[in-house]
Order: sequence, then C-alpha cells, then structure tokens
Amino acid sequence: MSKSKPLIDPSLFDQLRIKIEEDTAIRKDLDKIIDDLTQHVAYTQGLLSRIHSTPRSKYPDVLLPMVEEGVRRETEGVKVLGEFAGKLSYYKYCYRWNRAVQDAISTVLLTTWLGGLGTEERKGEVGKLLGLEEVGAVFGVPVNLKDRDAFHITIEDYLLGLVNIVDELARLAMNSVTLGDTEMAVKISGFVKDLHAGFQVLNLKNDILRKRVDSIKYSVKKVEDVVYDLSLRNLIPGRMEE
Amino acid sequence: MSGFKRDRQGNAKRQEGFSKPAPKQIVRNALTPMFESLRDELDAHHDRRDRIGKASRDITALSKKIIFSLQRVREIYERLPEDIQKEVDTRLAEIAKLLASIAPEVQGINRLRYARSLVCLEELVEALTFHHYLKTQTLITQDSLTAIIEDLARQGFVAEDEIMANAEAGEGAPNEQQASDQQNKIPTIGLTDNDYLYGVFDLTGEMMRFATTTSALSGKMASSDATGSGRDIVRDMHELGTFFETLPLRAGNRSTWEKKLEVTRQSVQKVEKLEYDLMVRGSERPKGWVPDPSSADQPGSPE
Repeated sequence: MSKSKPLIDPSLFDQLRIKIEEDTAIRKDLDKIIDDLTQHVAYTQGLLSRIHSTPRSKYPDVLLPMVEEGVRRETEGVKVLGEFAGKLSYYKYCYRWNRAVQDAISTVLLTTWLGGLGTEERKGEVGKLLGLEEVGAVFGVPVNLKDRDAFHITIEDYLLGLVNIVDELARLAMNSVTLGDTEMAVKISGFVKDLHAGFQVLNLKNDILRKRVDSIKYSVKKVEDVVYDLSLRNLIPGRMEE
Repeated sequence: MSGFKRDRQGNAKRQEGFSKPAPKQIVRNALTPMFESLRDELDAHHDRRDRIGKASRDITALSKKIIFSLQRVREIYERLPEDIQKEVDTRLAEIAKLLASIAPEVQGINRLRYARSLVCLEELVEALTFHHYLKTQTLITQDSLTAIIEDLARQGFVAEDEIMANAEAGEGAPNEQQASDQQNKIPTIGLTDNDYLYGVFDLTGEMMRFATTTSALSGKMASSDATGSGRDIVRDMHELGTFFETLPLRAGNRSTWEKKLEVTRQSVQKVEKLEYDLMVRGSERPKGWVPDPSSADQPGSPE
C-alpha cells in the first residue's frame, strides 16, 4: 500500500501554500492601513501636546478645532481599517492594530475630557469621560462584540487607552498651575483619583493591563503633590478665603 | 476570610480599641458603575480562559501519553498491537470529553480569541498524525484530521450523558445512531492552520525517535513494505523536511516557524546518520545476529 500512496497528499502542499500566501498578502495590506492610521494618531497626539502650553480659556478657539480635525482623520483611518479588517477573523490579526487603535482612543478620550468633540445632545465640557459605547460611536465601529466575528473595539482597548491619558493629565496638572490655572489642577486631581479607584474595582490578571494600571499610582502621586503644594500656599480657588 | 485571629475555642478575637474598616469597601464615585460593569465582562473572560486552559493542559498530558504508547510500537502496519490501540482509544475518549466540555466556549469569534489557551491542539495533532503514520505510512491531510477532531469533540458530547461503557468499548464506538442533523448542532472544535502545521513539525521529532528505536532493535529502517523495496522512514522524513523548507515563510510568527524548522532539520539529519550507520556497519554484525522479533521487547501493558 505504501507504493500506491505517497507520504504527502500532493494537494496538501498547494492548499497550505495558498493559505500562507493569502495570509502574507493580508498582512501587507494591513500594514499599509495601520501605518496611515498611526500617522493620523501621531499627528493628533502632537497637537494635543499643546495643552501643556495653552491656557484653558483658549481651548475652544485655538486648540480644540485643530485637535478635532486630527480626530476626524483618525476616525477615517479607523473606518478604512474597520472595512478591511471586517472581513477577517478579528483575533487573528487584532494584535497588529491594537496599539494604533488604543492610541487613537486615548486621543479621543483626552480631547473630550478637555471639552472637545461636543455634539448636539452632549455639549463639550471639561472633565467629561466618554464610556466604551460613546467611544465606539465616535469612531463609528461596534464595541465589545461577542456574537459575531467582526472589527470592533474591545474592553481592553478602551481600558488601555484610558490608562494612557492619566499620565498626560498628571503632566497637565503641573503645567496648568504654571499657566495660572490652579482650578484645572484640582479638577484633574479629582478625576485621576476617581479613575484610580475605578481601576481598583477591576480584578486584573497578571497581564499587560495590570502592568499599565499599576503605573496609575505614580500619576496620582504626582497630582497629589501639585495639590499639596497649592493648598500649602493657599492657592486653591474657593478655599483661599479660609 | 482571614483578617482576625481566633482564640482556642475558635471564636474570633476582637481587637480592642481598633476597628478596621470593613474590607472591600469601595469608595464610590461617578466612574464606579462603569468600572463595575467592565469588571463583570473581564471576569467572565478570565474565567473562561482559565477553564479552557485547564482542559487544555489535561488534553496536552493525555496526548503526550498517547505518543508514549505509540512509541512502543515496533513496525509500521495497518493494525497497531491490541494493547496499544486500546490505550490510545481510552485516552482519546477522555480527550473527547474534555474537548466537548470546552467546545461551547470557543465558538465563533472566541475560537481565535482563546487560540493561545488551546495549544493542546498542537499536541493532539502530533499524536494523531503519528498514529496515522504508524498505521498507513502517510501524512494525514489537514481536512481529514480536522474532521476527526471535530468528530471527537462531538463524540465526547454524546458520551457525557450516555453510558461510559460506550467510550471504553474503544475503536471510536459508532455513534451513527444519532441523527446527523443533530450532530451538526453540537458545538465542536476545528483546527487552525497553525495547529496543524506546528503539530506536523513536531511529528518529525516523533518519527525520528521511532526510527531510532526500531532500527536499533530490528537492524533496518521502518517501512510498511516488508520486502524492503518500498520507501522507508528516512525517505519520508526527507520528504517532510523538503515539504517545510519549500513552504513560504509564515509572515506572522516567523521565529516560532524557524525554530520548529531547525528542530526538523536536526531530526532529519539524525535519521540520515542512522541509515548511514546501518549501511556501513550493518555488515559488520557478528554472525548469527538476529534482530529482536518485533514487539517481543514490550513488557506487556505498562502502568
């Protein structure tokens, strides 16, 4: 029987080769799409770095319109990605774009926290945190999909994106004091502490999320130090008369 | 819960003048509800991953045992020695039950989400391809193997509420009495390309081990063709080696691929050396040397 049958079925090789070649082609296309998205994200992040030198009163006129334009480009990038990746098995390739998507989420969260991306029903205001569903709505993609396999934003993406803005806000607390806006520092302090408490509600496993969440406490410390400095010198608004 | 000491009667000792805040008291704020709902989702995910991982470890261990049993086979022949076949069958029945227990958790999008927790499939592929090779001296195709494993998961599902004896009867107790449309509704687990390819990579290692023992005991290379004119295991391993060398590099996990390929290369070279030794030194065997009658070295069924 061994003579009549070869070891390897001749069709097997081609079958596998074609699959691998398809996979390689998909990765190449994905790389290009993700590259574009990363560009938009980097651009928006760059614009957002101006918060450290822009007084809050100038946000609506100077800062936010530009950042919102950056976010608009990001959402376009995510849309292209979503359309292409929608045909693929999400978990087969998601690790390639997770980082870019998480960074994009971060910029959206930070922009809305600063009072940007206001809509008809939701006026932009400082201190607003978008939930997972709202983030999905900004990008126009589904979130936390369980019943079908398609492109979406996962809980982990959202949480990791959220952790990213904490460090940035801690830095802003310091710089806003420099710009004379002590109220902002106090606001940030409250928010960062709430976030810290929120993340402690989660039962984290020993994974990347745990590692990143662990870093929040340093930001809390940083912000607390700023508030401490302010209160020591009676610089906190509303408490000054005491 | 810990947190307080007990006296000799086992009653909790109260610490005087010091009242600890109740544990797990969370300071609630505006964000707490959101985090609580996310926590529930994450917990469900972690629990599921744990359950799959546990079953996966058991399946890996069972697959390894199957491979050990199969390494006691001494020739390539369409029927395995009875005791070994029986061992394989009982272990497969156990694997079937484990597969069935996690199959509902890895449907649809979750199949690849938990692919990393399902590394057991690689090991199972190794065991089953080796099993198939020992019987037929051919490499089972991905499609046929996927069908076998899917079937295994379905059988395990049936076996759960049916009598255990069914599974122990061995030889994949026919469950054909089940209506086939009902069969299709039972959740099952298929193979990914990686499961198959990596499993076959590992198969070359098992083939090398098999070739080493059999050639040492019988004085010739294993082949299903008793006349010695058909292809033997060394040629098969060469062919498998070429098979992997000519497949395009997998773009995703290049390092795993290259590592496995390197191990395969080494295995191929080991059997080459074996065959060379047999050719050159085989003629120097003392007169009257007789190969061990195959399977005579097996001390019955172990364990």
